[in-house]
Amino acid sequence: MKISYNWLKEYIDIDLSPEELAEVLTDTGLEVSSIEEVESIKGGLEGMVIGQVLTCEPHPDSDHLSKTTVDIGGGCVLPVICGAPNVAAGQKVVVATVGATLYDGDKEFKIKKAKIRGEVSEGMICSEKEIGVGTDTSGIIVLPENAVSGTKAKDFYNLESDYAIEIDLTPNRIDGASHIGVARDVAAFLKQTKDIAYKRPSVEGFEPDNQQLTIPVEVLNPEACPRYSGVTISNIEIADSPGWLQNRLKVIGLTPINNVVDITNYVLFETGQPLHAFDADEIKGGKVIVRTMPKGTRFVTLDEVVRELDEKDLMICNAEEGMCIGGVFGGVRSGVKNTTKNIFLESACFDPVFIRRTAHRHGLNTDASFRFERGTDPNGVIYALKRAALLIKEIAGGTISSEIVDIYPNPVNDFKVEVTYNNITRLIGKDLGAEKIKGILASLEIKIESENERGLSLMVPPYRVDVKREVDIIEEVLRIYGYNNVEIPASVKSSLQTSVKPDPNKLKNTIAEMLTSQGFNEIWSNSLTKASVYEGMKDYSENRTVKLYNPLSSDLNGMRQTLFFGGMESIAYNANRQNPHLRFYEFGNCYFSKGVKYEDNPAGNFREEEHLGLFVTGNKEVANWVTPEQQASFFQLKTYSENILSRLGFNIEGFDTTESENELFSEGLTYSLPGKNIKLLEVGIVATKWLKKFDIENPVFYADFDWGQVLFEQKNNKIAFAELPKYPAVRRDLALLVDKNIQFKSIKDIACKVEKQLLREVSLFDVYEGKGIPEEKKSYAVSFILRDDNKTLKDKQIDKVMQKFISRFEKELGAQVRK
Amino acid sequence: MLEKIKALQQEIATVKASTLEDVDALRIKYISKKGKVSQLFAEFKSVPPELKKEVGKAINDLKLLAQERINQLRETFESGLEEGAGTDLTRPGESMKLGARHPLAIVRNEIIDIFGRIGFTVAEGPEIEDDWHNFSALNFPPEHPARDMQDTFFIQKDPDVLLRTHTSGVQIRVMERTQPPIRAIFPGRVFRNEAISARSHCIFHQIEGLYVDENVSFADLKQTLLYFAKELFGEDTKIRLRPSYFPFTEPSAEMDVSCSICGGKGCNVCKYTGWLEILGCGMVDPNVLENCHIDSRKYTGFAFGMGIERITMLRYGIKDIRHFFENDVRFLRQFESA
Repeated sequence: MKISYNWLKEYIDIDLSPEELAEVLTDTGLEVSSIEEVESIKGGLEGMVIGQVLTCEPHPDSDHLSKTTVDIGGGCVLPVICGAPNVAAGQKVVVATVGATLYDGDKEFKIKKAKIRGEVSEGMICSEKEIGVGTDTSGIIVLPENAVSGTKAKDFYNLESDYAIEIDLTPNRIDGASHIGVARDVAAFLKQTKDIAYKRPSVEGFEPDNQQLTIPVEVLNPEACPRYSGVTISNIEIADSPGWLQNRLKVIGLTPINNVVDITNYVLFETGQPLHAFDADEIKGGKVIVRTMPKGTRFVTLDEVVRELDEKDLMICNAEEGMCIGGVFGGVRSGVKNTTKNIFLESACFDPVFIRRTAHRHGLNTDASFRFERGTDPNGVIYALKRAALLIKEIAGGTISSEIVDIYPNPVNDFKVEVTYNNITRLIGKDLGAEKIKGILASLEIKIESENERGLSLMVPPYRVDVKREVDIIEEVLRIYGYNNVEIPASVKSSLQTSVKPDPNKLKNTIAEMLTSQGFNEIWSNSLTKASVYEGMKDYSENRTVKLYNPLSSDLNGMRQTLFFGGMESIAYNANRQNPHLRFYEFGNCYFSKGVKYEDNPAGNFREEEHLGLFVTGNKEVANWVTPEQQASFFQLKTYSENILSRLGFNIEGFDTTESENELFSEGLTYSLPGKNIKLLEVGIVATKWLKKFDIENPVFYADFDWGQVLFEQKNNKIAFAELPKYPAVRRDLALLVDKNIQFKSIKDIACKVEKQLLREVSLFDVYEGKGIPEEKKSYAVSFILRDDNKTLKDKQIDKVMQKFISRFEKELGAQVRK
Repeated sequence: MLEKIKALQQEIATVKASTLEDVDALRIKYISKKGKVSQLFAEFKSVPPELKKEVGKAINDLKLLAQERINQLRETFESGLEEGAGTDLTRPGESMKLGARHPLAIVRNEIIDIFGRIGFTVAEGPEIEDDWHNFSALNFPPEHPARDMQDTFFIQKDPDVLLRTHTSGVQIRVMERTQPPIRAIFPGRVFRNEAISARSHCIFHQIEGLYVDENVSFADLKQTLLYFAKELFGEDTKIRLRPSYFPFTEPSAEMDVSCSICGGKGCNVCKYTGWLEILGCGMVDPNVLENCHIDSRKYTGFAFGMGIERITMLRYGIKDIRHFFENDVRFLRQFESA
């Protein structure tokens, strides 16, 4: 909301600059977001001076132009050609000198030295309209005799700049949504240090002139309209508003329309009370009825839009039809037109919720609805009505032609609130003292009804819709006292808290730091995605996608079920910018619709899982003289992934690893804990169809940790020291020729089964296929580490174990040992 | 015998090799089973007993010297560097990528650490919320204009399920399950139905803080926030509080810190005001405490909330919020050292 600096000064006599005022407003909770200087006349009369016409003779080559010389002071005399019929020697005039700019609406005209029909002209003698000080176009301005040549026109017209101060009004401070409201708050603040008061224009002079146009009012929905008042004014003349009124409105960003409408707007921004003027001759049946109408009733609003009403929309009606959506928007037919002669002026108080629902339903947000839905002062209704009626009478003429109708069945009184000094001190953390507190309350127009040494019983005026409880009073006291005047204690007050163990945040950071030092960049992707991404998928089926009810766009209308697509998008984004060699990780939530309906816990229909995604693609490292060029691989990512699990205390050997069925992968592995059907990790080679979909050339390897489950299972991680081995370990290698479909895991599993006690480690140190071995075979060079805790192993014993291995490999896997 | 040892000692100390094969030849010559040093052990038998100790030690030392020298020579060849041969050490080292934390993670962690030092623990809550936790319990009445302050993404209506618009809902979840004292911060992702531009995004991140106990005051709030501002922005940082409005705090305030870029003199980042708006805060509204079954006559508390993006953008001079979620490595790598 914009406040005019000059306008505000009509209500409070302040000597603050606009910037200082802005600081005061911000400190009291009316936050100023900008200050803009506004010229009341476009261009500010820059380059215009007062001059005296010295000579004036007809132009030798024209029958309507005059050739003049003009003294503009300082010994400077200009030749000026003038077309005005009223120009004459001796006149004091306004001259636009060379370089000055004249404005006609959006058009600009710059004064240049020119030759007009052969005669030199170095300026222009102006009319009222041309320089914007009035509307007269019949001739040039002739100033009084005593005007002094050389005076700047802006000084002569006493042109004062104004400032539009934009206030970001918080929803609780509707009391500050007017110039008087702002003046009241400024006064309350300044009163703490000086003697100052704000004043409201008097409406004492209000008196009905006659009773010739009485329009009765009936309120059928008092719950929606606690107060309705109105008065008629007859025989007015609709015209443009005077300059001062137009200027006031223009400064705060409104467009002047006509005198009556401008006055209702003026009073709205002066007092905060919305008003509405009806053309009284359009009030059929001579009666105003405040009521709701049947659902589906059609109504044309001021913007000429046909709207279908709801049965909960409050309407201001005449005896036959709706005229105005109460408190929200006027109707096209009943409004004030150029031909309007008689008006019915409305000033009312509407219920905030009613107004808000109606405004929302019709997508309307007007200056009136903005105030009503935040709560207006029911006791300010009559003041505003009188104020507007007096202004209309003064500016548009006419007579006040009825008594004020005022339907106010349940008057709202001041609100009673009790406060104790103890609670004020407890919440603020500083004892302000009773006198200070009482002073602040008085400056806020909060009356003290009674008091004792413990506290106060207060009466709060109803325009403070946000002050209803003790804590609200404390807020008011602190606001005016100054948030920045509360000292900061030297010692810390704290309370002991124990944290969750293991600390999820710490574990996340541990792994993040580990990945970071391994060359992974951490990425954060949008949780919102295109829901259609999941169409036709089986592992991330479409009906599990959480879809938005009011999406921003069809590209962001669902929530991700996996970190995969976000990561792939990032890989494609970077590959397109010459960065195809990447390692990424992301911690983030994935979201699922459970497909159930819990009525009493609707959010329970949805599930969130935290996941950790790992992506590797392109070259492992930048190749150089000592670093070979090597492609990222599944086995690289497998190790990164397993290291994460090891780092968290999981025994990799203890996992069930099975082939992953996940459709994201062409091949992949699933890691789950034995006996539990919970996948902690899936790692695999991203299937070509996804690479194609994202236009990614290099293979991508992806690992997906169900991080929530990982943390849950990690809770059992304990470290217990084991004695160091006293006896040496021995290594034996075997080169096994096996069918291509035989997995290393089978070899390892057999070995572990056969020798539970001595076998410590099985490793694959070479793989060979091709020349020298049959096509359907491969050679696996496997190493075995054996150790006895109680003695040094002897060759004989080792050979026996190895023999056992060989015979089982031969029998179960059809393996041959290569010599 | 001792002389023989001494001679060998000199010989071994000065042996040279020009290939790895030479080194192997030296190994055979001196320390293989039939090598010169090994032969000494055979001759050791005939050493008179009174000299055995001295000679024994000398032979052993010689053997160690030989091994060391040979290993030394071998290493030179194996590592590809000839001793004192003027290797170009300015050649680049082996490639090894260094990754980076996401800037938002860096700042989030820093904030968590700062509050952790004065006893705040960390808790998190769901991003998909119901009306109660995101609005109603936080004292946003139905049909209240305050709901317009936040453009909400809904998942379903009646009953409403939505994407949380702030982390304040975690306050409610924590207070519902714990009686005071409560001293915790709540980081997390939040959502607003806003078009994506350089200045706003539909997702962003907040950290919410809450302290509820007996006699917690506005002065305590200021103290905590001043400490925080100094820790995050530097020892000389000043704070300023302006009255504001949040339905869940009363009184409410916005906090500005003195501009860390110009030191309060005024620059284009602080729009020549000398101040930067950083967070919203206030004293927990009694209605909120009562909604969570906490006795508002006994307990008071403060709460605050800040946007991690905003602070991160100020800290690193990032002008476009979209950088955070595009994951351009040219952006991400700039935070390697953070």
